[in-house]
Amino acid sequence: MHREEQRESVLDPRFPRQTLVSILVFAVVWEVMSHLAPSLGIPAFAIPSFVRIGQSLLTITPIDVAVTLARVIGALAVSFVLGLVLAMAMYRSQSLENYLHPLIRILMAVPVVSWILFAVLWFRGVEFRIGFVLVAVCGPVFLIDSLDAMRGVPRELRGMMRSFRPTTLQYFVKLMLPAIVPNIITSWKINLSLAIRVVTIAELVGAVTGIGHQLAVAQELFSVADVFAWTLVLVALLFLLEAMVIHIENRLLRWRA
Amino acid sequence: MSGPPPIEVRDLRKVFRQTTTGQSVVAIERLDLNIAPREVVAIVGQTGCGKSTFFDLMIGLEQPSGGSIRIGDKSPYSDFDYFRGRMATVFQQDRLLPWRSAIDNVRLPLELIGLPDEVQHERSLSWLKRLGLEKFTNAYPHELSGGMRQRVAIARAFVVQPDILLADEAFGHLDEVTAAELRETFLALAREFGSTAILITHQLEEAIGVGDRIIVFGKSAALLADVRVAAWPKSEYLLLREAIQATLQSNRPDPRLAR
Ligand SMILES: Nc1ncnc2c1ncn2[C@@H]1O[C@H](COP(=O)(O)OP(=O)(O)O)[C@@H](O)[C@H]1O
Ligand SMILES: [Mg+2]
Repeated sequence: MHREEQRESVLDPRFPRQTLVSILVFAVVWEVMSHLAPSLGIPAFAIPSFVRIGQSLLTITPIDVAVTLARVIGALAVSFVLGLVLAMAMYRSQSLENYLHPLIRILMAVPVVSWILFAVLWFRGVEFRIGFVLVAVCGPVFLIDSLDAMRGVPRELRGMMRSFRPTTLQYFVKLMLPAIVPNIITSWKINLSLAIRVVTIAELVGAVTGIGHQLAVAQELFSVADVFAWTLVLVALLFLLEAMVIHIENRLLRWRA
Repeated sequence: MSGPPPIEVRDLRKVFRQTTTGQSVVAIERLDLNIAPREVVAIVGQTGCGKSTFFDLMIGLEQPSGGSIRIGDKSPYSDFDYFRGRMATVFQQDRLLPWRSAIDNVRLPLELIGLPDEVQHERSLSWLKRLGLEKFTNAYPHELSGGMRQRVAIARAFVVQPDILLADEAFGHLDEVTAAELRETFLALAREFGSTAILITHQLEEAIGVGDRIIVFGKSAALLADVRVAAWPKSEYLLLREAIQATLQSNRPDPRLAR
């Protein structure tokens, strides 16, 4: 939660002074180190100057950024729909929940690396592998969060709604879904940062496009400047996506005090 | 207009089994009751005597453990969908959907029936106007006072023009002046539209003031008294009040109520 708040504060239009100061101090120390590196016996490529990083930034290929972005958004959309539909089914059926809940808890404990290895061993298609890993990691988060949120909808509101005799579909569309929008948005924030970090690892295995692939290339070339540049792009991408979610959140949750 | 159907409660019983302790609570022991079309009935009884449970059974949210409720020739539980738009409840606390504006809250039951959009809008708007909320149609619940929110809840109940109206301590949480005003509004509307109305209340003044009939529940919804208010001249309301009070306190019918 704390990390979440900090990350949001970076996006704050008021841009707190402390943030600016810490970034500046880091940049200055880095730049000084890059110039001192040779005299300290550190190879020059290890701490590239900002001019060098700037050059790398110019070589960023938008297509790789777009591909990674598309993979993240696509996989999150699939995870969201799957998670929500399963959550609704589990909300409706206690026995389904009794069977599935432990299984999902186990799935959530599986390390990302294991998912990647399974994906490589089980599937051939690169896109499918990446999608599988992302959905396996993010789907359960959507599922568990929405199920808990549905259970948390006040008894009074559920009774009121049922007293007007909705169909099952109406019950979910007019009560449950709007009631859990705040929780859904929180899940999106969590899953976006999760997916952005996981997608790059997944892309290391077999992908010939995407930011993860470019990071692997940079590593083969021993180019710290390229790694730095791609990482910057990745972080910027995450901030941008989070800003979009916050924008949507403010629009959807206008009804709140 | 054929008017609302009669309500017939026979040997009604409801037992709750606590899942945690395994103990069972007899909320309604055995209730027999007839309510005629267009009657306005007040139900009084101490907290925990089964009033809300009776409403849950009336609405069809719960299945009776024994006996039956017939409304006309239908059961509110087995013929749940039949009563869509024919029955409406005003709850204790307004129970508005916080993410919907006043008008969208009123329109909820109309959406469930599936009326055309313009009809939904016109009807909701005219009901908000009737309840003096024309300036607040787009306000969210948190922007309204408790009394205004309960007005929205009343509009939401009346908008479907139901045969049967239920109010479960709907005005108890408001200040006296507001409560009295809303109660008047509620009853006037119920009479105007010829609905059967059943109000749960724990205030005797309210019960005596509103009902054609006062039904006094004892423990486990035992029927302690069934008072026809018309049989009592206004000058004896104080006596009536005392007799009901005594009935509630002793959990036994007070002899003065027999007339
Ligand atoms: N869902 C439930 N599960 C278990 N016990 C319940 C449930 N609903 C009501 N009860 C019990 O039934 C009794 C009657 O409750 P209720 O009908 O709410 O009373 P009232 O509305 O008259 O205050 C109480 O003892 C209450 O604890
Ligand atoms: Mg109650």
